[in-house]
Amino acid sequence: MARIAGVNIPTNKRVLIALQYIHGIGQKNAKDIIEKVNIPAERRVSQLSDNEVLQIREMIDRDYIVEGDLRREVATNIKRLMDLGCYRGLRHRKGLPVRGQRTHTNARTRKGPAKAIAGKKKPTA
Amino acid sequence: MSRSVWKGPFVDGYLLKKADASRSSGRHEMIKIWSRRSTILPQFVGLTFGVYNGQKHIPVNVTEEMVGHKFGEFSPTRTFYGHTSDRKSKRSSGSASAAG
Repeated sequence: MARIAGVNIPTNKRVLIALQYIHGIGQKNAKDIIEKVNIPAERRVSQLSDNEVLQIREMIDRDYIVEGDLRREVATNIKRLMDLGCYRGLRHRKGLPVRGQRTHTNARTRKGPAKAIAGKKKPTA
Repeated sequence: MSRSVWKGPFVDGYLLKKADASRSSGRHEMIKIWSRRSTILPQFVGLTFGVYNGQKHIPVNVTEEMVGHKFGEFSPTRTFYGHTSDRKSKRSSGSASAAG
């Protein structure tokens, strides 16, 4: 069992995959870390030596913004936009797409599940 | 894709003149501008611009944080009054919950 970057305890998967369980580390960063620490791709987390775990942990602490810090950074960036009163901030406040997508249809990721409109009949199939 | 750095920020030239003029006159008046596409520069901080939204000039107090954004971002062009049917549905659902 390996604890890297706080709470993350990746399982007995390959290191490349396990590192991606950390928020802020995706394919690219995981690959970079593995190459820098010189871990063969087929090595699993359970087979890592203590030294290797330590190296990975230090590297992530030093070079990457991860987990809580990253979430806080993103949240402050969004908050900045909202406080500024600019268009992107307004969109964030309203929970609508920020980057100019259409909202006539779709946009369900931002808007959430569709709300029923009163008085609108359902088409009977 | 973001703009190439070597081009520098885009600003319509007359804004610089207007800003300078209002600075030197020392009066805090709204500078009416139509150029929504211009970048807000550091020398605009502290001035008030009236950014045209197609109907009227929206007063924008330029603060330090706004530098790098465009004027148009602070002057919304659309007004959304909500859907009337939404309000009706909200009312009916509210009464339903009150009854239940």
